[in-house]
Amino acid sequence: MHHLINKQNDAWQLADAQSADQQHAWCDAENWQPGQALKLSVDAELDPQWAQASIIGIDFPALTDGRGLSLAVLLRTRLNYSGDLRGLGAVHEDILHFMVRCGFSSFELPESRDPSVALNCITPHKQYYQSSVVDPLNHFDRV
Amino acid sequence: MYQYTEFDRSFIEERVNHYREQTTRYLDGKLSEDEFLQLRLRNGLYLQRLAPMLRVAIPYGTLSSNQLFALGKVAREYDRGYGHLSTRQNMQFNWPELAEVPDILADMAKVDLHAIQTSGSCIRNVTTDHFAGAAADETIDPRPYCEIIRQWSTAHPEFEWLPRKFKIAVTGAAEDRAAIGVHDVGLRVYRDAQGQVQFDVFAGGGLGRTPVLGALVRSELPIEHLLTYLEALMRVYNRYGRRDNKYKARIKILVRAMGVDGFRAKVDEEWVHSKGGPGTLPETEISRVEAFFAPPNYSEQPDVSDTLAEQRLAKPKFSQWLQHNVIEHQAPGYAAVTLSTKATGVPPGDVSDTQIDAVAQWAADYSFSEVRISHEQNFVLPHVPKQHLFELWKKAEAQNLATANARLITDMICCPGGDYCSLANAKSIPVAEALQERFDDYDFQYDLGELNLNISGCMNACGHHHVGHIGILGVDKKGSEFYQISLGGHAGHSELAPSLGQIVGPSIPRAEVCDVIAEILEIYVDLRLEDESFLSCFKRVGIAPFKERIYAPSH
Repeated sequence: MHHLINKQNDAWQLADAQSADQQHAWCDAENWQPGQALKLSVDAELDPQWAQASIIGIDFPALTDGRGLSLAVLLRTRLNYSGDLRGLGAVHEDILHFMVRCGFSSFELPESRDPSVALNCITPHKQYYQSSVVDPLNHFDRV
Repeated sequence: MYQYTEFDRSFIEERVNHYREQTTRYLDGKLSEDEFLQLRLRNGLYLQRLAPMLRVAIPYGTLSSNQLFALGKVAREYDRGYGHLSTRQNMQFNWPELAEVPDILADMAKVDLHAIQTSGSCIRNVTTDHFAGAAADETIDPRPYCEIIRQWSTAHPEFEWLPRKFKIAVTGAAEDRAAIGVHDVGLRVYRDAQGQVQFDVFAGGGLGRTPVLGALVRSELPIEHLLTYLEALMRVYNRYGRRDNKYKARIKILVRAMGVDGFRAKVDEEWVHSKGGPGTLPETEISRVEAFFAPPNYSEQPDVSDTLAEQRLAKPKFSQWLQHNVIEHQAPGYAAVTLSTKATGVPPGDVSDTQIDAVAQWAADYSFSEVRISHEQNFVLPHVPKQHLFELWKKAEAQNLATANARLITDMICCPGGDYCSLANAKSIPVAEALQERFDDYDFQYDLGELNLNISGCMNACGHHHVGHIGILGVDKKGSEFYQISLGGHAGHSELAPSLGQIVGPSIPRAEVCDVIAEILEIYVDLRLEDESFLSCFKRVGIAPFKERIYAPSH
């Protein structure tokens, strides 16, 4: 099992272990049909159909592998995918804030990790220098 | 220079707090060694052979006097009274206690300094010409664009976990003192005929195991598109750069695998979608940042040429120093001064807390409170009135910072090597010391003229041996330290295209290094035409005459 972290009323939270949102029948890109839950590897090449997924998960092979971050940005900006985008695999509490800014909206945190720590360090900064998927303003646009 | 805003300050404070919390979790056993490694590297902390090393970012090598005083304090209170100027214009401290690093970073933050992204597979501190804003051959001051890149690359959500480290350098002068050809991305900034700021973008340069010169991937990139273009380029690298082998993970390998045209096309394909979007620089932002780098308030200076001539006659050492360590400035009556750390017997780039304090004070007294760190591991005072040169020289002499060897053979670049670094195959500092002693004689050095000698203790090439006119690389041969000599490398120059050194022959034991270098110099002296520099001579005669004589059967 894992800890599901998602957003409710605009606040990050640890989801109920019994939540229906825990149960997805993930399909990999080859076997997926529109309307199903799609699980992507970090090296996936975009398919416009994916915008019709019920949920998309990106499976991180290691905490140091940043490919899933670029893939998330592309799903959000290139395909305009607006559904739930979930971090799977080697999700680590210290990467969450990068993932959030690349468009992830929920995370499966491995059971070995402490969800309270994860929630505590999910927003280490009030603002950032660059625009991102979740904030179109660069710091210089606010000056 | 750039002045932090409230936002910059709060961002750095939040980062220190975050890192403090991460350190606590590590010390409490909640983060493994491997997990914490990734976090500490991105905050400048290495665990070296003997003790941790903290690398503080000196953005594009520019510091204020106050910031330098603060670094002197770190050297005194947390290190053993030393700091080390790195080949990427940063400052490194050895021996800090891991648990104390958050406190050091908090002290640094008080003077607007940080260690963010000075290590790890992310975009590193952007570097530039250490004479930026001062050099007479400059067409445009590159620092505003370096600062724009610094801000954009700080905690970038998408590019913090790249296949490998990523180094960007910018130059705006005729002579490329930033060595843009050997960086992951090199930017040449200039104004077009209409006065608009533009960039030529080079990608895929680098040293290390596979030295390559960067290829031009886009020319005449208008300033407003700088960040969206870089973002497209970084995305291509982040997605397609190799992650299966760290020795093949730098962007140079990707550019080679895709071909320059293929890489360029892929970046353009990506850029089509983001060009003109968020990240496009508005004119207000460009001019806001440029304004920070407006020239200081130069005053009218007296003509001191007669006095200088007298002082030169009276003090030959001052004369030598003027000749080598003082360069022409953009502003009449001013000069840019190199304070060499390469005195004989001192490891290149090592400076004591007393020296650091002294330089900070001279910056305040003579150089509009500005200091630079050069990638040759020296301090630079960028704007010194010529009337104060003699006074400054006397003070620098007293602090052992007035060695008249800028760009001469003993102004060598040298990594910390096997004495400190856990990656090194061989020691580099003792080699540098032996060479300094051997070639200490000023007249001999002067006769040789401009000559860069660069030493790296391993293939990671932190000492930039590939671009030394003479390069020395430490290698491990069955457990013994050997050294491989290369000739003819250089990082970029107005008349000569950058080039990588050619290996002269089989590696040699440490005891023979000085003799072989002496022989190379003799061969050069025999072959040169009149005022021909080592590099020009080498370009003319090639490596063959060196090979023949060094490895002649009599040896």
